[in-house]
Amino acid sequence: MLPMINTTTSNVLRTTMGRFALLVTASMLASAPAHASTQGTLGATSQGSVQISVSVPSRVQISNLTDVDLTNSELGSVASRPQSPCVWTNTATKSYTITASGSGTGNAFTLAAGQLAPISYAVQWAGTTGQTTGTALTPAAASSSFVSTALLPGCTVAGSSASLIVTVAPGQLETMASATPYTGTLTLLVNPI
Amino acid sequence: MKSLRPALAVRCACIALLLGLFVGGPAEAQRVRIDRLADFSFGLLTTTTSDIRQSGNVCISTTGLGGYNVRASGSGSGGLFTLAGVGAPLAYEVQWNGTVGQQSGTALIPGQTLSGLTTAALGLNLNCLLSNTASLIIVLRAAELSKATAGAYSGTLTLVIAPE
Repeated sequence: MLPMINTTTSNVLRTTMGRFALLVTASMLASAPAHASTQGTLGATSQGSVQISVSVPSRVQISNLTDVDLTNSELGSVASRPQSPCVWTNTATKSYTITASGSGTGNAFTLAAGQLAPISYAVQWAGTTGQTTGTALTPAAASSSFVSTALLPGCTVAGSSASLIVTVAPGQLETMASATPYTGTLTLLVNPI
Repeated sequence: MKSLRPALAVRCACIALLLGLFVGGPAEAQRVRIDRLADFSFGLLTTTTSDIRQSGNVCISTTGLGGYNVRASGSGSGGLFTLAGVGAPLAYEVQWNGTVGQQSGTALIPGQTLSGLTTAALGLNLNCLLSNTASLIIVLRAAELSKATAGAYSGTLTLVIAPE
């Protein structure tokens, strides 16, 4: 209930109270739902209505990732195995960033082989499928934004929406011990924008 | 002729009044009322991968013997049960159950009448003072939520009750 103004109050007080009343009214209007339920009346038919409201949270999903196998790569050239994962997000812009972390010290992109010196590799990401080059990623740092073309989670329509390119430079290949497996884990974190 | 005793006359008048309230006169059209409707506010969902439902109790009262039907229409195009928001319309389902406190019921189709329902709210419960009588259930399906654009959605569901 709005405050009542005594007719004997001064103009100053009346103005202040009037502003207060306006503020209260505006606040009440702002916090009220756009519509509220209406009740029916007694009659040959009776009609009522309800307001339904919901807020859908931002969601993102990366899928269709496969292990990278660079076994028996030829020396003297870049070893590369591009793949096409799916990134789906339900944000209005479909934008996302990706953060890659290796299993090396300080999230470095390195492969280990026991006590041998680790070798480094590079990670690139492209916002479209079927690419062999992309934007170079820095360990544990969010990338620039990409836009997903996936319409549904898991890219059930298109199959993929991005490209992940893992490469090992010739210089690193030459330092590797022969017939020795080098392994590591690359973790990808996708954030919707 | 011996006149009726005053107490008996009052008793007869009360009975007649009650019968009138419960049944109504033969020439009087049956009347119905839907009441106790409340908004459905799902808030910010915590999941989009499972069905989410809310139920609300309503009161259907009638001057007749209790039979009624219900017809629902949404605020989507052509009366569809859809919510408008930042993305494509978000479809939802509407279910009706003729008893209170239910979490599921018969699915309503936009603009189509669901018949054969009965309410216990007669006569003295016309104003729904005694109890609610039915359940209105709104269901958000995971299949719709998982592909919806993030953001706020809202819409209006209109219900029309008629006696049978």
